Amino acid sequence: MFSINTLTSHVLCHMPLYITRMRTNHFGMADSGWPGCAKSLKGVILDLCGVLYDSGEGDGVAIPGSIEAVKKLKESDLQLRFCTNETQATREKFVAKLRRLGFDISVSEVFPPAPAAIAVLKERGLRPHLLVHDGLLPEFDGVDKTNPNCVIVGDAAENFSYQNLNEAFRVLIGLEKPVLFSLGQGRYYKETDGLKLDVGVYMKALEYACDLKAEVIGKPSPTFFRSVLNDMGLKPHEVLMIGDDLLNDVGGAQHCGMKGVQVRTGKYRNCISAELGSFEAS
Amino acid sequence: MAGRRALKAVLIDLSGTLHIEDTAVPGAQDALNRLRQASVAVKFVTNTTKESKRILFERLQRLNFNLQENEIFTSLSAARSLLEQKQHRPLLLVEDSALEDFTGIETSEPNAVVIGLAPDHFNYSTLNKAFRMILDGAPLIAIHKARYYKRKDGLALGPGPFVTGLEYATDCKATVVGKPEKTFFTQALSDLGCSPSEAVMIGDDARDDVGGAQNSGMLGILVRTGELRNSQLLISSSAFSSTVVSLLEATFLATSSIIIFFSLLLTIFSPVMF
Repeated sequence: MFSINTLTSHVLCHMPLYITRMRTNHFGMADSGWPGCAKSLKGVILDLCGVLYDSGEGDGVAIPGSIEAVKKLKESDLQLRFCTNETQATREKFVAKLRRLGFDISVSEVFPPAPAAIAVLKERGLRPHLLVHDGLLPEFDGVDKTNPNCVIVGDAAENFSYQNLNEAFRVLIGLEKPVLFSLGQGRYYKETDGLKLDVGVYMKALEYACDLKAEVIGKPSPTFFRSVLNDMGLKPHEVLMIGDDLLNDVGGAQHCGMKGVQVRTGKYRNCISAELGSFEAS
Repeated sequence: MAGRRALKAVLIDLSGTLHIEDTAVPGAQDALNRLRQASVAVKFVTNTTKESKRILFERLQRLNFNLQENEIFTSLSAARSLLEQKQHRPLLLVEDSALEDFTGIETSEPNAVVIGLAPDHFNYSTLNKAFRMILDGAPLIAIHKARYYKRKDGLALGPGPFVTGLEYATDCKATVVGKPEKTFFTQALSDLGCSPSEAVMIGDDARDDVGGAQNSGMLGILVRTGELRNSQLLISSSAFSSTVVSLLEATFLATSSIIIFFSLLLTIFSPVMF
């Protein structure tokens, strides 16, 4: 099984890696010889769900070898950050969950969309109508939600009822200048009991209903990746992004000039890679 | 505008044009009666998919509209014939009240997903079920892709947003059988013995009614009841202003009954003219 543990070993030994490459890779960085590029690596950004763990009942399940991999990375001289589109819980809560699963990880190393969204709201003087998971609500406790002039949609799961979607739709359709923020744009994710629809699906639904374009906060938004790079103090070509989502993790990172690698755990599906063109470095 | 023939058929939208839920649009019954006096065939075409043909007919009768059940053509009728053609066994995400238009179609071990206007089915777990079927290869059939519709308590999401969401999730395109698809309009005219250029569509949705009709070669008239919003006016003005002008030109060449029909429409339906 191709997991983050095997990848980490390869990265640390500066060995060629198995890469999944997108046909539309503008930067062509994945074409250059891997051994050389691996030597200039100074940092790694890891996705959480599908790379370190699979969500599901209770805390979910750590993917075999991932705990070890994170430990190895921390012992190395590579900078490490975690980038996630997790929006079912506050940052504090899901870091606590990951620690319970055995991961050595702290809040300041983790970059989810909600804090970034709150910063945007402040900057632009916006008051949100929230269509998010109940677990994320505390993140917005200090935010003025009266008389909303925008809508924020997150991975609301069971909260994606017709009624809740209709409410969000009515807020947007009633605004002079409707603004829709989507915390991520993923199509689906893997839970222990199968694949489930992600926030991107409902973002598209509201875009279609209201004839507008949503602003994505979170992966694969370049602004989002850049804020992580700034925190690390590194240039894009010095950083490797590892994720299970070809478009949002790998593609998004490559678009910013980082290297991207896809693990074959989580939502990875053989047929998708085949369509987009896989190859293995020699 | 040489080549624009005499008017032979009028297609009229139901929800938002003749009635809003259980209330008739004021004056609409009268307008229809006077239209019947002109020598044009009339059909009632609708994307309303919560209700079977029989229920629609009964409601229109109760609201004192003068029509026959066989003059009603719905996107449910269009969906059923597609299922029969391809011999699909559908997962029917349609309101219970619409199921009667699908009696006789096998639904066990479904291998296709049919989506209509079904708020009760648009919950997370049912949509996940449909999503997984489509990912495994089941075709997605949309009865229509209306963005929203008008309820008594305000606007409400139509099936369009959910179909769009599933298309995005699965990277597949739905087969749409309702307005504004061309086949819907041409199928509606097929038993009237006239071509699209001899027909006009009257409706309240610039994109689904007027836009769709014009795309299939018919003329379109937009009325100001129902869903119309200011922004739609701005978008559609250039699209049909020439249509209205050419139809008026045509009325001078056509029979006097048609001129009467139009002046009535102008007063009763208050269509938008530019």
